Order: sequence, then C-alpha cells, then structure tokens
Amino acid sequence: MNRAERWAAAAVALMLVAGAVIFLYAPTDALQGPVQRIFYLHVSAAIAAYGCFAVVLLGGIVYLRNESLVADRCARAGALVGVVLTTVTLVMGMLWAKPIWGTFWTWDARLTSTLVLWIIYAGYLLVRRLAEPGRQAARIGAVVGIFGFVDVPVVHFSVTWWRTQHPGPIIVNDALPAQMLATFLLTMACTLILAAVMVWMRYRIETLMDEKQHIAEPVKVVTAREPEPVP
Amino acid sequence: MNPFRVALAVARKDLRSEWRTREMVPALAQFVVLALLIGNFGFQIDSRNALTIAPGILWMALVFAGLVAFGRTFAAEREQASLDAMLMTPASPVAIFAGKALAASVLLVACEAVLLPALTLFFGTPLSGEVVAAVLLATVGMAALGVMFAAIVARVRARELLLPLLTLPLWIPFIVAGGQAVQSAMGLPGSYQEAIGLLIDFDILFVVLTSLAARFVLDE
Repeated sequence: MNRAERWAAAAVALMLVAGAVIFLYAPTDALQGPVQRIFYLHVSAAIAAYGCFAVVLLGGIVYLRNESLVADRCARAGALVGVVLTTVTLVMGMLWAKPIWGTFWTWDARLTSTLVLWIIYAGYLLVRRLAEPGRQAARIGAVVGIFGFVDVPVVHFSVTWWRTQHPGPIIVNDALPAQMLATFLLTMACTLILAAVMVWMRYRIETLMDEKQHIAEPVKVVTAREPEPVP
Repeated sequence: MNPFRVALAVARKDLRSEWRTREMVPALAQFVVLALLIGNFGFQIDSRNALTIAPGILWMALVFAGLVAFGRTFAAEREQASLDAMLMTPASPVAIFAGKALAASVLLVACEAVLLPALTLFFGTPLSGEVVAAVLLATVGMAALGVMFAAIVARVRARELLLPLLTLPLWIPFIVAGGQAVQSAMGLPGSYQEAIGLLIDFDILFVVLTSLAARFVLDE
C-alpha cells in the first residue's frame, strides 16, 4: 500500500464513521423524521464542492499570472471533484425535497444556482477535453473557471431577488441542537478530507497524463543582457 | 493608438463586410420569425394567454439568435486566418475585442428590430419603450459574454457544441432580470425599476470582467 492508497483508505473509513454517526448518534428530527439525516451529507458535499471550485478559481488566476502548470493541474483536479460533489448535493437534495416539499425540483434560488454551477463546471470539463492540450486548454480553462465562479453568486442573487423557498442557513443561526451540530461538523470535516484526498489523487493523475502528452513547464528564456557600453 | 478608434475601426470593418455579403441579418430575421411560428403552434397562443407566454418566446428566440450571431463573430477571421494578422498590429487586444463585440451587438439589435415588432404583430403584446429598453440593456451584457466565449471556442474543436454550453449559463442572470423587466413592462406583476437596475448592474459587471479577460482570450 503506497501513501496515496493509505490516505484514500483513511478517507473512506472516516466517511463510514460519519455515516455511522449520522444514523446511530444523531437524533431523529421531530417534524421531518429520518429524511432529515440527508441534511448532514447534503450540506457537507455542497461546502466541499464550493471549496473545490475555489481551487479552480485560484488555479486559474495563478495560471494566468505565471503559467504555472501546477496551478493548472490543481484547477483541473478541483473541477472534476467539484462536479462529483455537486452531483451528490443535487441528488441528495432532490431525495430530500420529494417527501418534504412534495416535488423533486423547484426553481428556487439555491436550486437554480447549484444547477447552473453544475452546468458551468461540467462545461469546463468538456472544454478541457476538446481544446488542444497544453497552453490553449489551460488558458481557456482558467477564463471559464473564473467566470463560472463569478456567475454563481450573481445567479443566486438574481433568483433570490425573484423568489426563494430553500431552508435558510440554520447552522450559523444557532438553530441546531448540540447533537445534530456535532454530527454535522464531523460529517463536514470527513467530507472535506475526502474531497482533499480526491483532489490530490486527481492531481497526480493529471501530472501523469501531462507527462504522457509531453506537456512540460514552459522553458524560461534567459536573454543575455546587453553589454554595458564602455565609456 | 487610440483604443476607441481601433474598436470603431474593427466594428466598422465587420459591419461593412456584413453589409456587402448580407448574410447574417436576413438569416437571423428569418430565424426569429420562425421561432415565433414554432412558439405559436407549440403553445396554442390566443389573445387570452398571449401576455403570459410572449415574454418567454421573446427570450427564447433572442437567446438562440444571439448564439447564432456570436458563433459567427470569428468565422471570417478563422476562415481567412486574419485574426493573427490583426493581433500582430500594435492595436490592443481589448480594443479589437470591443470592436468585435460592438459589431456583433449591432447585428443582434438589427435582429431585435425584427423580433419585437413581429411579436407585437403576431401576438398582440404591447411594444413599449420599456420593453425595448430592457431588451437593449440585456443585449449589452449578452454581447460582451457571447463574443468572449466565441473568441474562446474559435480555436477549439466542436465549437458549435461548446458555445451554447459555456454561454447560456452565464446569460441566465440577464434572462432572469430581463425576463422580469419585459413581463412587468407587458403588464404582469413585478417591479420594472428593480429589474432594470439589476440589468444595468449585470451589464457593468460583465463588461468590466470581459474586458479584463479579453487580453488572455485573444492574445495567443
């Protein structure tokens, strides 16, 4: 077992612990019943996805500044893991919404902006696949990643201004009982670790793929300085 | 080199070549009229439900006409490989980008000049200055984003596939606010002032952002 496999195993084990805590330790919600347990993983996955997209944003900015391949690989890895986590968020949210709201989907601000988030970064992954690998793909990806990150709060704001029915942020409002809060924090920590491990493994895969395609760090061109004119 | 004059020169060149070929505007005009036709048969529109459905058809037609128009922005440059020549001149890429965006939005405005009266003619919706203002304001931001992504996908395989995929999600804010503005201008509930304010905010935000990004998109 190498280092990466050990980390992966640890992350999966942590998620299993979180699952056990969600089902065995956390109390059942008085109004929503067992369905409420979806909340722990749903919100954690959403936060982890935002973290991944922040990596894409930062990677894009750093790449545009100094063409660092490391930043670009981080962005690629973050986008892929972020899309997976957003899928988890959407699917779990829909499973929760069916019994509670009576419908899988509604055009609420958070739902709309999360769907747009998913579409933008799924588009990012497609662009990366279709563009010529190397500088071109990296540049295009950086711009798409930055615009995607800006667009999400804008979409969210514009739809909120229109109509919203998603439950408000209950964690920061101190409305959660202690046991639920503890469960949520544990699940979130485990999910963030899992996301970080996945991004790291994907980063290694991207590095290997770059090596296979002979994409190397740009060679720094050192120009000889003009000789000082002798007075 | 004065960037404003460069932008105007680029826009003038694009519009002149459009004027000589007369390809885009007639095609777009036919396209939007066809979209209204499809809307009519898809929805069974009559005088009672026209007001609730017409704004939706308006934005559908406009968005897809926009995709067609912006997708063609760099077609001539690609076919003749003239973009590289333009970029080799001392003109700044931002000015070239602004010129392309200006020309593309003029084409879209020409298409709106067909779409809005046709909407009134076929569906009997009011054609007021408020509706025109909302559509024109949305055009500014949509053109900035559309031309930027057109420049991005110009060098990529399967660009026809990618352009809508990248552009549509970023247009959503304009469609939310513009849709609301047109709806309230046509007499449905909602605040027109707020929607227009939001459109102006989005215009400023995305025009600034795309101008900042233009350097990285065009400079190759």
